[in-house]
This record gives sequence, structure tokens and C-alpha cells, in this order.
Amino acid sequence: MAVSLVIEHLSKRFGPIVALDDVTFRVEPGRIFGLLGANGAGKTTCMRIVLDILRPDGGTVTWQGARNVDLPRDTWGYLPEERGLYMRMRVIDVLAYFASLYGVRRADAEREVDDWLERFRIPEYRDRKVEELSKGNQQKIQFIAAILHDPDVLIMDEPFSGLDPVNSGLLKEAFLEMRDRGKTLIFSTHQMETVEELCEAIAIIDRGRVVVSGTVRDVRRAMGRQVVRLATDGDHRGLEWLSTVDGVTVTAHRQDYVELAVPAGTDPERILRAALDRGERVTRFEIGEPTLEEVFIEHVGQRADLEERHLAQGRTARGTDE
Amino acid sequence: MIDLFPNAWHVARREYTTRVRTRTFAIVTAVLAVVGLGLALAPVLIRAIEGNSQTRIGLDAADGTVQATTLGSILNAGDQGGNGWQVVAVQDVAAARAQVRDGDLDGLLTVTRAADGDLAFNAFSDAPPTDLRFQQVRSAATQLTVADRLERAGVDPGRAAEIFAPTRFQTEAVDPNTTGFMQGANGVLAYALVILTFMAVVTYGTWVANSVAEEKSSRVMELLITAATPRQLMAGKVLGAGAAGLTQYAVVLGAGVVGLALQATLAERLLGDSGGANALQGLDFSILLPFTAFFVPGFLLYCILYAGLGSMASRQEDVNQVTGPMLFVGMGGYFASFVAMATPAAAWVKILSLIPFFSPYLLTARTVLAHNVQPWEWAVAAALMLLFLVGALWLAARIYSAGVLMYGQRSNLRSIWRAVRVNR
Repeated sequence: MAVSLVIEHLSKRFGPIVALDDVTFRVEPGRIFGLLGANGAGKTTCMRIVLDILRPDGGTVTWQGARNVDLPRDTWGYLPEERGLYMRMRVIDVLAYFASLYGVRRADAEREVDDWLERFRIPEYRDRKVEELSKGNQQKIQFIAAILHDPDVLIMDEPFSGLDPVNSGLLKEAFLEMRDRGKTLIFSTHQMETVEELCEAIAIIDRGRVVVSGTVRDVRRAMGRQVVRLATDGDHRGLEWLSTVDGVTVTAHRQDYVELAVPAGTDPERILRAALDRGERVTRFEIGEPTLEEVFIEHVGQRADLEERHLAQGRTARGTDE
Repeated sequence: MIDLFPNAWHVARREYTTRVRTRTFAIVTAVLAVVGLGLALAPVLIRAIEGNSQTRIGLDAADGTVQATTLGSILNAGDQGGNGWQVVAVQDVAAARAQVRDGDLDGLLTVTRAADGDLAFNAFSDAPPTDLRFQQVRSAATQLTVADRLERAGVDPGRAAEIFAPTRFQTEAVDPNTTGFMQGANGVLAYALVILTFMAVVTYGTWVANSVAEEKSSRVMELLITAATPRQLMAGKVLGAGAAGLTQYAVVLGAGVVGLALQATLAERLLGDSGGANALQGLDFSILLPFTAFFVPGFLLYCILYAGLGSMASRQEDVNQVTGPMLFVGMGGYFASFVAMATPAAAWVKILSLIPFFSPYLLTARTVLAHNVQPWEWAVAAALMLLFLVGALWLAARIYSAGVLMYGQRSNLRSIWRAVRVNR
């Protein structure tokens, strides 16, 4: 497993704030990896440490067996969360400039840029100034800037934020293209559908800690429950009897169905049987795994409750001091 | 330091070309060049304007006292070969007085012979007695009186010329090495170089700081720092923005030198005589070589530190605040050299002139005014300069790499110190 990107025991404090606390996860090469977390969870700090822009207080990052501090800078391609381009320069000049810093010759850079502009359906912007481009198009330029030097690992902070569906689609295609070229892609996002669509593995970070990581399938299974969606002909609000079925909890009342959590070890079909026994006309019965959204909310939401309690205790303690 | 290139070169080239190509740069440079040219030509232009406005005075002289032409030539002789005086003989005193009141005449001089035979003068004018022109009339009157007395005493008019020959007066300084404070063209040159150094350091240093802060506020820096090392970025930035600054500086300075060279020609055209106006005459230009040799690295030293401090600012508005310390250092050198010019041989001046922040100012001043810089002093100053340059680059790169990701934090000396001390 020496070829993976291995992040081990990273910790980082900014003054009193703990940004990362013993962060450990692993990214297999040639895969697309999603880094999920609420705002301020530590995703960006983690990425900056991998890129060696920031040094951790403890822990290591290794890629294919080598420490990141020893790796050449062109190992990584970076798309920062805050977009940054020289607004008054021409698109082609900006991109050629960034490429030149990685030692890419102008002619090679131009050929590659032309190819990507074509792919992103904006070849006419090649000689325009960056400031004339829309936000979405600037975002595509920013992506091209990250890959011109043909890096092994692409690290992208919120690459889909602010993109319309069409541009999102183009960027997803580009992701898959890069993966097919054998690149490793890591990106952070809030959009769970995008993660479901692209990622093979994820890590969820919450307040500096990795709460869960692994392949999407394993993460779902680790939830220890299945989801059942049930709809009947009658008024589904009258389904209180469901909670009498062993271990089953109603998690959501939707417009035309109810969602039920079924713990591992319980046969979901017991619900169906119970419904039929009561003479209900079942119009929908679906067994599935929890969505990533549910996984995320379960992991991060619970912890949020804890935090509030800690804060409340802190406040009480301070109150007695005074 | 070897790993600086080629990335520092790429950074510098982008910085230089994007800056020099802007319209603002072209306009500001053109305006400053015109100002430089104007300043250089100012003395001639002022004389041209002054020369056209002659001082006209009326002379009402009793018979056998003073001729208008005699008074005119004495006054003009005292005007350093100029032609600023016109003396007209008046018949009607009342009318002449009215003309003085109206401003048609600048004054009316009445000459009579007193009872004891001496000449008596009466100046009618609205000029105060301390006015320079008034003083000139008075000294001309003294000369006329003495000449008149000599004539009445029976002295041969031919000998009178000998009597009025210029005084032989020579000055000798206690310290032969000191040409004195602000003496002659070389003193002016020393002043000019010190002022130009100060202006360049502060103006273009701020440019560099702004350019760094701009990259930070536009967040380009985050991408740059993954592509190149802080030291490469810093060095490139300073070289590029510094070179753009020096380009502007050279154009303005060039315009000034052209102006000085044109002074004599222009004076001849406008005034009909060159009047010894060639300002480049008598200047010792050999100073320009050591001046440049210390100005350029000194300039870079300031720029590097400006760049490091600039990276502490999150927004453009904060740049002036965080670069404040540099302004103090720059002004320190500037004022020190003014004091030092009075005593270029003092021990403290010698010591201070070896320190890199001050050597561009003080070595120039010492060389121009006292010619007392020893070869070993040049060597020590150069070595220290090199050492400081490397150290400053290291320090600035550290501030830079720490400052890059610090947004919105307060920028003061303490946070700078923390930035330098952090592990990265």
C-alpha cells in the first residue's frame, strides 16, 4: 500500500483553535476521493498541509512512499477555494505563466490550454482578459491552471461551488478524464449528489477530526442500518403502528411516503408483513442504504449536539467563576 | 540561492511587463519626465521671465551731476552682466512721480548737489529699503558719490578705474578636505542624489509592497505558493517591480539630464547670452559609478523588506500601515545624510555610512563632499550590503510564507515577529 496517499495523525492548532486533531485517512491512487465536512471543519487546512503550504504541528503525509516535504512541487495540482487569477491578464498569458513556474514551456502550455478550452467549450476566450469572463468560466480557467503541469495528484477545494448545472457537468467530465489518465483526485464539497456520482471513497471531517472514512459502500454499511421507504393507499399519517415493529423508527414523513430506519439484524420484510397483516394496501416498498446526506447528517449532526452541550457547560463554569 | 532561477525570472518578467504596459505607468512616467525637464530648465526659464521685466527708473539729475547712461551701466554691471536695468532721464518731475505711482516707473531718483559740494540722492519708490533692487541703486549711488569726490579732489579719471577695480578676496577652509556645506555644483549634486535615492526607495518600495498585497488580496498568492518557493516569488517580485520602478526613474532622470544639457543652448536663445548657465560644468561625474553601485543593491534591500512587510497586509489599504517601519528607516538615512553633509568627516558619519540601509545615501555624500572614503571602507560596505541582501531575502521570504495565509489579522511588529518564528 506504499503507493497510496497516506495522511497520518495530522494535527494543527492556530492559537487556541484546534484546526486538525489526529487526522488520518488514505487515498488510493487513480481514484476520486471526496473530503466532506461542514464549513470550518478543517478541510482546507488539511489540503494546505498535504500541499506543504502549511506545516502541521504533528503527523505526516506520504505519497507513494515519499514524504510530501521531499516531493517536487509539480506532484500536486491545486485549485484553491478562493479563486485567484490575474484579472487584467489574458487567459492564455495567465495560464502560460503558471505553467512556466512549473517549468512547462510556453508552446507546450499553449497546446494543452487550447485542448482544454475546446473541451470546456470556451475556445473564444483564449485571448480575452480574465476579468471579462463569467465566474463559472473563470472557474474552468482555474481548473486548467491546476493541471497544466500534468500533476499526479489533483487537490481541489470546493471546485463545484458557484457552477451552474451545465458547467458542473463539464467539470465532472474533466474529473473523469483526469482519473482515466491515471491521476488521483481529491476534492471537498457540500454537494452530496456530486460525491455519490463521482467518488469511490470519502472522509468526513468534523471539527478537525475524521469521523468516518473509507469507500462509499463501506461507509454506508458502517451505518448499521437500512432505509425503508413505504407508501400505502391510505393516509400515511396514520402509520403510528409502524413504531411498534421491533427496532424500527420513522425518520421522515415525506409528501407521499414515510422513511424508516431499520437496524442491522432486523429483517425489513417484517415491516411489509406487518402492513399486509393490518390490511394496508402497499403502493411502495423499497429497501435501500442510507444516502450520503444521511450518513453525513448522522455523523456531523450528532456531534453538533455534543458541542452545544459543551458550550453550555463552559458557559456555566465561567458563570460560577465570576 | 541557486534555486532562485528560473522561477524568479518568470515572476520578474510577468511583474515587469504587466506593470510597464499599463496606461497609468505610461501617463505617470510621461508627466514625471515633463516635470523633470521643467525642473532642470527652471533656472533659465525664470531668468528669461525676469529678464523681460526690466526695472525702469527715472533719473532727475541736476546739470553736471549724473548722466542716465552712467547710472545705467553701473547698475547693469552690478547685475552680473545682465540687462535688467533701464534708466531714463526725466524732465517733468511731477509727471514722473505720477508714473511711479501708476507703476510705469519702478522708481524716481533725484540727484542734486548739496551746499558742501557732495551729491545728494533722493529715491522715490514703493520698494522697502531692504529690497534687493533698492540696495543696488544705493550702492550705485555710493559709487557715483565716491567717483565724484575723487574727481573734485583732482584725481586723474584714468586712475579712478584702478581704484574701483574688484577687491581681491579669497577664502580658505580650516579643513582642506571639506569644501563646506552645500558649496558649488558638487554640493547640489550630492543633494540631488540623496533626495533621488530617498524618493526612489520610498516610492518604488511602496510599489513592491502594494504588488505583493494585491496578489494576496486577489488570492493569486495561494496558487503561486504551490508552484514556486517563497524565496523565488519574493526575489522575482522585487526584481520585476524594482526594475519597472527603475525604468520610470531612468526616464525621469534622463529627461532631467537632457534639460541640464540644454540649459546653455536655451539660455542663449532666450536671453541672448549663455550667462555661464551650463549646469553640467564643473560637476564631478565620477561619483555616479560608486553611487550606482550602492544605489541599486540598497534599493533592492529596501524593496525586499517592503515586499516582506507587504505580505502582512490583507488588503491594499493596510499596506501603508505595515510598511511604516521602512519609511522611518528610509527617512532616517535621508535626514542623517543632511546632517552628515555639514560634517562629512565625523566619526559617526563614517560608521553609519558602512551600514547597508544608509550607505547608498552617506557614501555618496561623503565622496562628493569630502573625498574621504577609503578603499577598505568601500569593501566593508559592499560586503555588508551583500550580507544584508541575503539576510533580508531570507527574512522576507519567511514573513511572506507566513503572511500569505494570514488574512484579517492585525499587523503589527509582534505579529510580524510571530510570523518569522513559526515553523514555516
